[in-house]
Amino acid sequence: MTDLDGTLIALSDPTRRGVIDLLRRKPRRAGELSAALEMSPAAMSRHLRVLRTHGLVEEDHAGPDARVRIYRLRREPFRELRKWLDDVEVFWAGELESFRRHAERTRGPGKGRS
Amino acid sequence: MTGTGDAASVSVLVRVAPADAFDVFTREIDLWWKQGPQFRIAGRRRGQLFFECGAGGRLFETFESARGPRTFEVGKVTLWDPPRRLELEWRGVNFKPGEKTSVEVTFAQSASGTLVTVRHRGWSSLPEDHPVRHGLVGPAFSRMIGLWWGQLMTSLREHVETRR
Repeated sequence: MTDLDGTLIALSDPTRRGVIDLLRRKPRRAGELSAALEMSPAAMSRHLRVLRTHGLVEEDHAGPDARVRIYRLRREPFRELRKWLDDVEVFWAGELESFRRHAERTRGPGKGRS
Repeated sequence: MTGTGDAASVSVLVRVAPADAFDVFTREIDLWWKQGPQFRIAGRRRGQLFFECGAGGRLFETFESARGPRTFEVGKVTLWDPPRRLELEWRGVNFKPGEKTSVEVTFAQSASGTLVTVRHRGWSSLPEDHPVRHGLVGPAFSRMIGLWWGQLMTSLREHVETRR
């Protein structure tokens, strides 16, 4: 499994995408996340573990209370996804360039209509 | 190249009239669509792409396999409005029945020719539990247009773009 697969698996669940949405704005405590998404702390904990395992989020204990875990997004997986999506556009850009060359060669300026 | 949310969008300016651009894009697709395993299911085998004109027409590829001639239907034309616009369904090689994305192609007249724009969208309509799997046939092909990663793309593009 590649990192990209892992990222996609982690994002394949609506709750986890909700977590990502919330963390995009600012780092949050697990309790805030479970309250915002109306989910039990235990269930949220399982989702956070998946996100952590695949490297989408990280936790730190750096707050005023060392027992409280703060979750934040990691940037790297999103860069990789962006690259994948760019590949889709690169694919079409290549086809359209091939289309343009063929069309101009056969129908372009100076060519009769066939 | 930009796209938002659910769509990948790419344009090219071609120095021919819209009617010619539309005609080449459809009837002559086999002449310009790239060859090779990244671009065709036939891979290195001899194959041919066909674009049947008119609503309900099919875009399909035929090729010889060890078990004889085979056909893969990419999708059917859902909108046919020459020379301005066409839309068709787009299925990757390992989409399940019923799973599809859509491709819209517009042909806009400009001073020097025609601006052709492809918008590939519909990832969000793929089911949430769509398997995250690499391709069964032609991994590079799958990677490029195997949009079965589907719905993920919607959220992910939004995430990525807002994080730039």
